[in-house]
Amino acid sequence: MLKKVVIGLVLSLFVFISTPLFAAEFPTKEVQIIIPWAAGGATDLIFRALAPYASKHLGKPVVVVNRPGGGSAVGYTEGAKAKPDGYTLTSAVTPLTILPHQVSTVYTYRDFEPILNVVSDPSMFLIRADAPWKSLKEFLDFAKNNPNMIAVGNSGAGGGVHLVALAFEKAAGVKFNHIPFSGGGPSVTALLGGHINAVSVSPPEGIEHVKAGKLRIIALFAEKRLELFPEVPTVKEQGIDFVMGMWRGLVAPKGTPPDVIKKLHDAFKLGMEDPAFQKTAKDMAINLSYLGPEAFGKLMVHDHEFYGKLIKEIKK
Amino acid sequence: MLESLQNLANGFGIATAIHNLFYCLIGAIVGTLIGVLPGIGPIAGIALLIPATFGLNATSAIIMLAGIYYGAMYGGSTTSILLNVPGETASVITCIDGYQMAQKGRAGPALAIAAIGSFIAGTLGIFGLVFLAPPLAQAALAFGPPEYFSLMIFGFIVLSNVTGTSLLKALMMATIGLIIGTIGLDPVTGDTRFSFGSVSLLGGIEFVAVAIGLFGIGEVLINVHQPKELLDQRVIVPRFRDLYPSLQDLKRSIGAILRGAGIGFGIGLVPGPAPVIATYSSYMIERKISKHPEEFGKGAIEGVAGPESANNSSCQSAFIPLFVLGIPFGPVTAIMLGAFLIHGVSPGPLLISQHPELFWGVIASMYIGNFILLLLNLPFVPFFANILRIPKRILLPLIILFCMTGMYTVNNSIFDIWMMLLFGALGFLMRKWAYEGAPLLLALVLGPKLEVAFRQSLMLSHGDFGVFVNRPISMAFLLAAGVFLTIPVIRMVFKKKGGEGNREKVKG
Repeated sequence: MLKKVVIGLVLSLFVFISTPLFAAEFPTKEVQIIIPWAAGGATDLIFRALAPYASKHLGKPVVVVNRPGGGSAVGYTEGAKAKPDGYTLTSAVTPLTILPHQVSTVYTYRDFEPILNVVSDPSMFLIRADAPWKSLKEFLDFAKNNPNMIAVGNSGAGGGVHLVALAFEKAAGVKFNHIPFSGGGPSVTALLGGHINAVSVSPPEGIEHVKAGKLRIIALFAEKRLELFPEVPTVKEQGIDFVMGMWRGLVAPKGTPPDVIKKLHDAFKLGMEDPAFQKTAKDMAINLSYLGPEAFGKLMVHDHEFYGKLIKEIKK
Repeated sequence: MLESLQNLANGFGIATAIHNLFYCLIGAIVGTLIGVLPGIGPIAGIALLIPATFGLNATSAIIMLAGIYYGAMYGGSTTSILLNVPGETASVITCIDGYQMAQKGRAGPALAIAAIGSFIAGTLGIFGLVFLAPPLAQAALAFGPPEYFSLMIFGFIVLSNVTGTSLLKALMMATIGLIIGTIGLDPVTGDTRFSFGSVSLLGGIEFVAVAIGLFGIGEVLINVHQPKELLDQRVIVPRFRDLYPSLQDLKRSIGAILRGAGIGFGIGLVPGPAPVIATYSSYMIERKISKHPEEFGKGAIEGVAGPESANNSSCQSAFIPLFVLGIPFGPVTAIMLGAFLIHGVSPGPLLISQHPELFWGVIASMYIGNFILLLLNLPFVPFFANILRIPKRILLPLIILFCMTGMYTVNNSIFDIWMMLLFGALGFLMRKWAYEGAPLLLALVLGPKLEVAFRQSLMLSHGDFGVFVNRPISMAFLLAAGVFLTIPVIRMVFKKKGGEGNREKVKG
């Protein structure tokens, strides 16, 4: 008797797990978004916030998975090699157009189909509230007199905010000591613990700690001031012509059918427009910036060339 | 202190509201199921259930999701004990003595003590959370790359010989684990290493494949390798009165449970593979201080009680960095973070003051949830224990089927199943020649973290190795590791030969 019960249980489990294989129209099971960084970073936070709203319109759960390592190469490699069936998506962030110029990755943006862009945010440097530098000038003066002494964390070697830090040190004529972490979460934690002096991030990374008065924005690389912190000046206002930021969108592996892309695009766009998500975005100090598949594709083409040139210049 | 108690009382008011009790119960039940099935871990379970929380308010949603998390810690030991198949990383160590107990007809006490230990440790963990969360979060921040590196070194040296059989063999296995851990992409620069052009190897070797292979499949193969008559035999069938632990069992376990709770809570604060380090440490300590160390590996109840308690309290303290810093240290808390964001709550230093009803309500619900889980798990003990009545020639193929489906659900990858079978073959050979799987798994988990911390530290110090000894916490871990390495040498010099005595314990 019991024997039969157990066999029945195990077999029904087997059937339960394999049912998605026999169903028809997309989506028949949950959709996965690969985040190529550790949990708690900007991309992770944004897509975790957006996933449920998109899933409301998709009709199936949207699951966020972290695949950190290699300054995002691990996650992008996995995303590019995934089956092009629309069930494994990857968060496309500026480093997708940067890292391939820095190390020999097996992928470029050309291995992905654009779906949509979600946010576009300026980058910034955060320091601890109790750091000795009261202004950007003091910070840079110290850096000038002590080259390589200010340890600046980033979310992965060769990635977006690392390049921002490299480009900024060139623009400002200083040298930092760059320390790679596996994402914005771990790098902000290291700054909170005082193991590094500053961190290169994009909102919403560290925003909660700035609100709580634990961290300060020492350098803001935006065109205009942040709505949430109007008292923080941009570096441009202070005489350094330097504006740089990160965009974060969504891509599928090359070869994903156009109708699947369209379904995904529509669901995520509706999710972005949800008033509740818009409010969350405001609290997180992120700047929503929708681009459709075509415009997003063009942005990636443009940035791939732009960063290729920039990296050559920096390496000179 | 007093204020905390008052807040906690308010929290109980929120948690005992009928709808919150209901979500707590659902979370606990789903968590237990997820824990019992190998492969499907709490991460996948919570992720799939997040959409179900849309209509709820933030507090109810977090109450339910947290229930899944700690519920899975209760269920995780079941397959370890019964089938030698670790359901997840946190229950690898439970295989060692839990499975041996089951083979001796003591599956019931093993399952029951795992639930009781989880309950006690979970409850203590919640008290830690109530009174110590803010200062502990600050303490966790003291761990930078150098401290992390030294902690890993300490863990590596102290824990690799966790079963205490042969130091040389344990170190050999640990080295193999370290080597396997380097497969994939370089964690700092992203260069490919040892992937031999295979795309599947780029992401590294899946831990679950190694764990299920070495333990579960390896055990099946060893059984098949036995003479045919043994296959038709059944495992000793437990008598009913032996289904629950005796007073003697409880007496032996209580110390292990309390120690495990403390260890787990402390280690849960460290980012990374906390449940693994916590369970290994607890087992190691129990074996070292036990009056009958010779029973370990042959079915000592402390070897189940300690680690199972440790993984539960580590799961409570893992909430501290999330609640207080807003930064998740592990994948499960990362998913919880997502749940917060959906409901418009950004966890961080302001969470406790801005959303007290959520913080205290969730904590109070954890207490209730732990109680529900105890009541839920104990009645199932006879049912699970009876699975062992199935004759081996039917049970063994079922285990293989169970392992394969479980493995597939982790990444939906056939490659992982082949990996699992490969490690199953390795596990068979290792078992045959008495090599332990535990050190290999430990090294596989710690190795990559160790490497990253090492490289970050040297970048911070501009290549100066002094960074590891100039910082007090780091220095303390290295010294402790050094002491651990030299003690056996000193003992060898001063004592002629280990005179532990061969006290044979009479089995009850």
